[in-house]
Amino acid sequence: MDRIKKIRNFCIVAHIDHGKSTLADRLIEKTGTLAKRDMQDQLLDSMDLEREKGITIKLTPTRMLYTYEGEEYELNLIDTPGHVDFTYEVSRSLAACEGAILIVDATQGVEAQTLANAYLAIDNNLDILPVINKIDLPSARPEEVKKEIEDVVGIPAMHAPCVSAKDGTNIDQVLEMIVKEFPAPKGDENGKLKCLIFDSYYDNFKGAICLIRVFDGSVKVGDEIKMMQTGKVFDVTEVGIFVPSPKPVDSLKAGDVGYLAGSIKNISDIAVGDTITHVDNPCALALPGYKTVQPVVFCGVFTVDGAKYGDLKDALEKLKLNDASLEYQPENSQALGYGFRCGFLGLLHLEIITERIEREFNLDIITTAPSVYYHVHKTNGEMIELSNPSSLPSPTEIDYIEEPVVKASIFTPPEYVGAIMELCQEKRGIYKDLTYLDTNRVRLSYVLPLGEIIYDFFDSLKSRTKGYASLDYEMAGFERSDLVRVDILLNGEKCDALSIIVHKDKAYSRGRALTEKLKKIIPRQLFEVPIQAAIGSKIIARETVSAMRKDVLAKCYGGDITRKRKLLEKQKEGKKRMRKIGSVEIPSEAFMSILKLDDDDK
Amino acid sequence: MLGVYIHIPFCQRKCLYCAFSSFVDLKEKDRYIEALKEEIENFNYSSYPKNLNLPFEKGEDGAQKPKIDTIYIGGGTPSLLDEKDLTRIFDTLKEKFNIDADSEITLECNPNSLTYEKAVFYRKLSINRLSIGVQSLRDEQLKFIGRLHSSAQALEAIDIAKKTGFTNISCDMLIGLSSSSDQFIEDLKKLIDKGITHISTYMLQVEEGTPLAKMVSAKPHLLPDDDQSVEVYNKTSEFLKNNGFLRYEVSNFAKRGYESKHNIKYWSGDDYVGFGLSAHSYIKGNRYANANNFADYYAGKSKLEEKLSKKELIEEHIMLGLRYNGGVSIEYLKKLGYKIENNENLAYFTDKNIISRDQNRIYLNPDFYGINNFIIVKLLP
Repeated sequence: MDRIKKIRNFCIVAHIDHGKSTLADRLIEKTGTLAKRDMQDQLLDSMDLEREKGITIKLTPTRMLYTYEGEEYELNLIDTPGHVDFTYEVSRSLAACEGAILIVDATQGVEAQTLANAYLAIDNNLDILPVINKIDLPSARPEEVKKEIEDVVGIPAMHAPCVSAKDGTNIDQVLEMIVKEFPAPKGDENGKLKCLIFDSYYDNFKGAICLIRVFDGSVKVGDEIKMMQTGKVFDVTEVGIFVPSPKPVDSLKAGDVGYLAGSIKNISDIAVGDTITHVDNPCALALPGYKTVQPVVFCGVFTVDGAKYGDLKDALEKLKLNDASLEYQPENSQALGYGFRCGFLGLLHLEIITERIEREFNLDIITTAPSVYYHVHKTNGEMIELSNPSSLPSPTEIDYIEEPVVKASIFTPPEYVGAIMELCQEKRGIYKDLTYLDTNRVRLSYVLPLGEIIYDFFDSLKSRTKGYASLDYEMAGFERSDLVRVDILLNGEKCDALSIIVHKDKAYSRGRALTEKLKKIIPRQLFEVPIQAAIGSKIIARETVSAMRKDVLAKCYGGDITRKRKLLEKQKEGKKRMRKIGSVEIPSEAFMSILKLDDDDK
Repeated sequence: MLGVYIHIPFCQRKCLYCAFSSFVDLKEKDRYIEALKEEIENFNYSSYPKNLNLPFEKGEDGAQKPKIDTIYIGGGTPSLLDEKDLTRIFDTLKEKFNIDADSEITLECNPNSLTYEKAVFYRKLSINRLSIGVQSLRDEQLKFIGRLHSSAQALEAIDIAKKTGFTNISCDMLIGLSSSSDQFIEDLKKLIDKGITHISTYMLQVEEGTPLAKMVSAKPHLLPDDDQSVEVYNKTSEFLKNNGFLRYEVSNFAKRGYESKHNIKYWSGDDYVGFGLSAHSYIKGNRYANANNFADYYAGKSKLEEKLSKKELIEEHIMLGLRYNGGVSIEYLKKLGYKIENNENLAYFTDKNIISRDQNRIYLNPDFYGINNFIIVKLLP
């Protein structure tokens, strides 16, 4: 029983940019888990893209050894993603821990995700250790921030360590408090096996790997195990820990955090939140909290070069190996040819996946405007679910449509309340609540259609509040709404990839904005091109791209052909990025442009 | 036959829109002329790919030399050169080449540096074509783009050319300044009435890094937009056509028989050799460019030496052939491996009367010269 008393399983939660990854790096460095020369900044964020965006998407647990008062402790740090797209993954990681370090930026104080993550931790019965970071900054106000944590989050913070993760100040204090403050795991290593899968990834040699926390019992190579939710059975081929690279061990016992491999070919067989037990001597009840993750944002993904459809398929297959939440199915667009309709956990997830397709697989892709999932109730009593505007049945067949809504919490200094309320109003939000957390912080609660959140909400919120407001939301079911499809016609021909579903009251303004935007993006052609927005057969907006009149390099001076050649090369490049809709050529960026309408509108 | 281009990179002052190699430091001139002379003298066929098969003929002095039938002295401002400079250049050329009796020999000049005496001397050197940089007959426009001459000087320059016996006179005019089409045509009429035989109308291009680019980036309204310029261009070509000037290339109009033989070499894929700073040569599918700074030029460094691939030959032939009334040879493209007849856009353009064709060649209808890039890209393999 001595062994389990010297284990501490904890995670770090924070609002984005408050310094989670940097503190994790310092803890790893201080405990000597990695020599300094092996450290790369923000070690735990292994993907380039994550490092670039300064966000953590994938969780990478690390075992550190730390000696306190002569005793060696095993500290398992489970890193968590800090973005609203990945709330479920965060909650499962939290469920694998007994304690959570709550980092708060000493200059910025409590933000939306500070609170959302703190409550997630509290809901998972974790002990919380607040840590005030960035005390090296001149504008740091640690005492005020401590008080804010007590007032706003409602947890004691007066003894919170004040650190600079960047400079390495007071890191020892954090390590000591992890040992002193966080409880050791409970559990019976001789009991029936009960492990939580809190993440998974795909290894080319070992197959899908489960990242697990053992609650009861122990697991070793050769054991026959069962996934309690999916019902799949596997033989364990390897168990191990992360130091932080994977290191095989003989067995994992109650309280341990590590990984398990079992020649699992398909990552979909591993569900985050699922419970692993032995086939022979199973535990009675699975761990609580399991949910199946559903994508909430969808878009069409096509290759610029239609011939590369197969490459896109390969890319998605490979990405899916590591990311069970990514969904895709073939889609055929008249305008864009063969491609896929992909489902994502949110806009960030969408952005990450599409960027990875472009970078890691070197494919030029066209993505259509993101949409949400609708419930369409037809007059014949049937209900269909769809995310692609062009599959919407004709208005006469539709009884009503429901759209997904979210409960949104927005944190802001009081002076922006008016601007935010105005924004939420424009975005069809329903006001719920306004709470003063202290004199300079307000929480606004709204129910908002998800379709409005993914359409330019973050950018508008940022620009209207000078970046001071923060947003967190959770899905809150479906609500009936008066929605219509706006189609775009180019030279009289409908371009399916440009159709959008919008609220009836916004159809005119969006239609107008869309045609204006397309007028700017579509280059002049040999003849005049009318651009129309229509609901059904009714035209609601029209713009015209006039015929091209000038496209020539005037001078071949003194026989210098090279200038003209360079221009020709540029034009040939441009031609590659063009899509032909009937007789009209449009550049591929037109399809994403629908997203950015409001920028120019304002 | 081979054409010769000579670049004189000196100007009294640089025009505000100019992005070409030209310098106002005349102290460099003597050394430059010396280097130019040397370059011409050293022009060595073995430095070009073998089996050139340049037509060698016995010259007046009895020696075997490559024959040339055009000389074009451009710049810069060649009319800044004095008699001594030009004599050295021409003596060197005669030494090196067998100059055809029917040669077209052009010199570019600016209205303010052309004098009667100079013109007489040019005639003596057998220069038979003058290209005068008129650009505009509106004094406020000339000032705006940094020209040193007035409209009166421009008209006077034409008079000088006529009086000294020049019968082949070209004027450069810029479209895209503030003139309306009526004003521009009024100006052209003045030039035609003076008896010129060739007009180059260039659309003003705002090149990056020029003072003009800075001026208009802050105040774009100083220049008309493309639509307005195109309007002027279209009215202009209509007017010129009605006055007996044929639009034989995107920017060039001439009375029949006065098309520039030298410039046609650039578009038809004929051989030409360029001497001087930043001068370009094209010899049997090989392209060369001299350095564009004095130090490298004096050191004999070249900026570009390339043998065009089949693909590039095809692309250039289409690109250049659709710029002028010589057109594109279907047979030549076929030899290079491209059957342009199978290009689906060709049928479309022919149907729309944008492209016309006869047995062997296809031509761009001059009404569409203004968008020839668009058409070219569509007709490439």
